[in-house]
Amino acid sequence: MDYIEFEGKTVDEAIRKACEHFDVPREKLSIDILSEGSGGFLGLGSKKARIRASLLTLDLTADLFEHEKRDDSSSTEAVLAVESKEDSIALKAKELLEGLLLRMHVSAEVNVREEKDCIVLDVKGNGEGLLIGKRGQNLDAIQHIVNKALNKQGENKKKIVIDVESYRKRREEALVSLAHRLAQQVKKTKKKITVGNMNAHDRRIIHLTLQGDNSLTTKSRGEGEMRKIVIMPLNTSQNKGEGTKEPPRE
Amino acid sequence: MKDLIKYIAQALVDHPEQVEVSEVVGEQTSVIELRVAKEDLGKVIGKQGKTAKAMRTILSAASTKVRKRTVLEIIE
Repeated sequence: MDYIEFEGKTVDEAIRKACEHFDVPREKLSIDILSEGSGGFLGLGSKKARIRASLLTLDLTADLFEHEKRDDSSSTEAVLAVESKEDSIALKAKELLEGLLLRMHVSAEVNVREEKDCIVLDVKGNGEGLLIGKRGQNLDAIQHIVNKALNKQGENKKKIVIDVESYRKRREEALVSLAHRLAQQVKKTKKKITVGNMNAHDRRIIHLTLQGDNSLTTKSRGEGEMRKIVIMPLNTSQNKGEGTKEPPRE
Repeated sequence: MKDLIKYIAQALVDHPEQVEVSEVVGEQTSVIELRVAKEDLGKVIGKQGKTAKAMRTILSAASTKVRKRTVLEIIE
């Protein structure tokens, strides 16, 4: 017999979670109460109520998979209430992000958009400066956490991108124009230029932008999260005339 | 602030029931202490401390709003 354990602040809450998990009314579950739980103060010293539930009728073919991830289902209250509501990752991500924003005291609306290889969560609301941070570091941090939280089971291959007021697009445009400007400069001076401390995503944009340019090459240098990017001319003397974007000689 | 860290940590770990967060409140600076199950320590720290760094970044962003400083300590 397959049992799943559920936790909640009260026995009722745990039962409700069990119902949500199996997606059946209370009557269809066999429930054993393992511990009643006690309130504590502000969540400190509180004991959670634990119950053990199983389906009475064994029409749970689809639930076999659910049993595998039972750790996941007895997860945090906030996340769990959310997870059982809708299985799709996009919605999980949305709820997780909303919970996070709520606790950051940012009131904002989250819109989900599924794209081919990623899920975009678009945040609209006040405090966008706070959410973006210096060079988008706050936004990247939130995105990292959301990705990590949803990928821990390894079932989600899609990347989650969090965006505030088209910040990502604006940043990309700025980086592309920066890349072109630097490329011009490198070609003019024939000297390599190092641009400092960028994260992987930003570096990637620069690499991709200048990839098609035959007269120069880009490399990443340094260690860790914030590596530097080097734009250098490619054997300039041999390559004259090859680069399509090469400026007229002065 | 405590709530925020607890929420994030519980979303990250495999044993959310073992997440413990306490806060030492100071006038200017508060210290938040995070304890997780031993197996989950890596999850909250992340590769090269990336996840821990992300948590601290979010925490300081949230603290700015209430004009305070908050430090996150992950206790082994």
